[in-house]
Amino acid sequence: MTGAAVDHGHASSRTVRGRRFRVGGVVRFVFIGLYLGFLILPLYWMAVTSIKSQDDQLSDPPVWFPRDPTSINYADALNRFNGWKGLENSLVIAFATTIIAVAIGTAAAYSMARYRTGGKHLAFWFLSQRMMPPIAIVIPIFLLYSRYSEDWFGFTLIDTRIGLILLYTVFALPFTVWMMYAYFRQMPAELEEAALVDGCSRLQALAKIAWPLAAPGIVSAAAFAFIFSWTEFLFAQVLARDEAITVPVALAGMITFFQGNLYGQASALTMVSLIPAILLGILVQRHLVRGLTLGAVQG
Amino acid sequence: MASRAEPIPRRRPSAASSWLDRHIKWLLIVPAVAVVVALTIFPLGFSLWVAFVQFDFSLGPEHPWVGLDNFVETWRDPIWRASLWRTVWFSVTMVAIELCLGLLLALAMLRPFRGRRVVLTMLVIPLFISPVVVGGFFDLFVRRPYGVANQLASWVWPGDVAINFTNDKPWLYIVLILADVWQWTPFMVVILLAGLSAIPDTLYEAADLDGAKPWQAFRFVTLPLLLPIILIAVTFRLIDAAKLFDIIFSLTRGGPGTDTYTTSYYLYQVGFEFFHLGHGTAGAWMFMIMLAFVSFWLVRRLLKPVEEGT
Repeated sequence: MTGAAVDHGHASSRTVRGRRFRVGGVVRFVFIGLYLGFLILPLYWMAVTSIKSQDDQLSDPPVWFPRDPTSINYADALNRFNGWKGLENSLVIAFATTIIAVAIGTAAAYSMARYRTGGKHLAFWFLSQRMMPPIAIVIPIFLLYSRYSEDWFGFTLIDTRIGLILLYTVFALPFTVWMMYAYFRQMPAELEEAALVDGCSRLQALAKIAWPLAAPGIVSAAAFAFIFSWTEFLFAQVLARDEAITVPVALAGMITFFQGNLYGQASALTMVSLIPAILLGILVQRHLVRGLTLGAVQG
Repeated sequence: MASRAEPIPRRRPSAASSWLDRHIKWLLIVPAVAVVVALTIFPLGFSLWVAFVQFDFSLGPEHPWVGLDNFVETWRDPIWRASLWRTVWFSVTMVAIELCLGLLLALAMLRPFRGRRVVLTMLVIPLFISPVVVGGFFDLFVRRPYGVANQLASWVWPGDVAINFTNDKPWLYIVLILADVWQWTPFMVVILLAGLSAIPDTLYEAADLDGAKPWQAFRFVTLPLLLPIILIAVTFRLIDAAKLFDIIFSLTRGGPGTDTYTTSYYLYQVGFEFFHLGHGTAGAWMFMIMLAFVSFWLVRRLLKPVEEGT
């Protein structure tokens, strides 16, 4: 970062953000509106498919407004096609992954940003964890989880939540570490140094100064760790097909494998799986805003 | 917070807390490194071994050492090379569109307006849908005759439109790219919005005092300060886009023929459909090395100050 950013980092609190980019209110809203149209169309189609009867789903021309909406798809998806089980597993796995990945990822990023631990090699090593095409490691992971973990450690990780949580933590960490690394580096160190001079321990400086200041970054990093574990498909498909089945695996089963055309049920389960998304979206914004005002108060 | 005059009472640090203070940089980094090492060392070692032996489910349980044969044979396969080029232009196109759209949207949404929260909430919805499901639904959306894409097209375009979106070129490429853009533009928006909000207003005020035009303020204040975040977002998107698999898997299944094979899909086919796991893994390693060079080139700017810093 440039020196200027560090000097003025938290000196401002006025609400003139973005006034530079007043391209003209109309253009701005037309653009947002057009994008929303593109965004909503497939979502609308999904929502409407979820309440269509089988006949309406396959009619030509397509039915935009189903005449006799039905809830049968929801009941079917949740009860007959592993819906509840998938939702429960996905929630547990995603929350656990998020908490672990953010806790240890933020700690590592702080160490790398403030003490330059490991230098660029360590930073790049974290990033490189994301590069391997899944095909190269999915078989060894499968063997490790099913056979070797039993042989070496006496427990098996195949088809367990713990197994997926561990794996997803590893996959989510590169992004968490890098996101927080960037945040800590653009955050001025002076406040923490002042706290140290005032007699805080390093741990206290971290907990009381650095973490709250980095809140917006932490919230975004957490959101993306959650999203990753909520949507991961390939490894879940191979490692957790029954007891630990997740939502994407249950959904893929409806639209790509057997029968292959259970779009009504798939839409229904997708709609249900969006509830956490919307809740999280609302939560994230509140925290993003809070994080920002907190940053301003510090000055 | 430091405005109060009364000093914080100083305690003599206990032995434990001073030990903590001295080793804190290692204590903080060890858990993350340990988790990653514990879970990846075996798979990576195993897959490295697989790349150098004959590991073919159709040829029995013996795994003789074959040196570089797997690498050479994979490289000789014209489908591999075609899939590699396709992956390059796919991922570059996707990420470029997502970055431009994302930056414009982030700028448009930076200033609060009524309904901003609702828009933001709706914006992040695609991120919560698994790519394999997004591919499935785009398939439903465009498939004839009961998908709506042709109907929509015929409203805009005169006459009857009967495009087979999952078979006709260039439409199948457009559908794949649109599906990826639909899903991942919100990622760019959220990251860039967070980055934009972190730029202090004082810098814009200073630019204003110096008589900078909006475009200049963007070029000389916003862009340089946003660059690290842009680079991170682009690097992660590019790595993921280069591994594009799920959408292909549920939307076109690589078809028609091998026309939508990406490298990941090719490797999956070779390894899991044709059971040449040795070839597939050798290809995966070559792919990873190429990807590492590209990403290193992208993030070198971000890594540099670490070494130069005081």
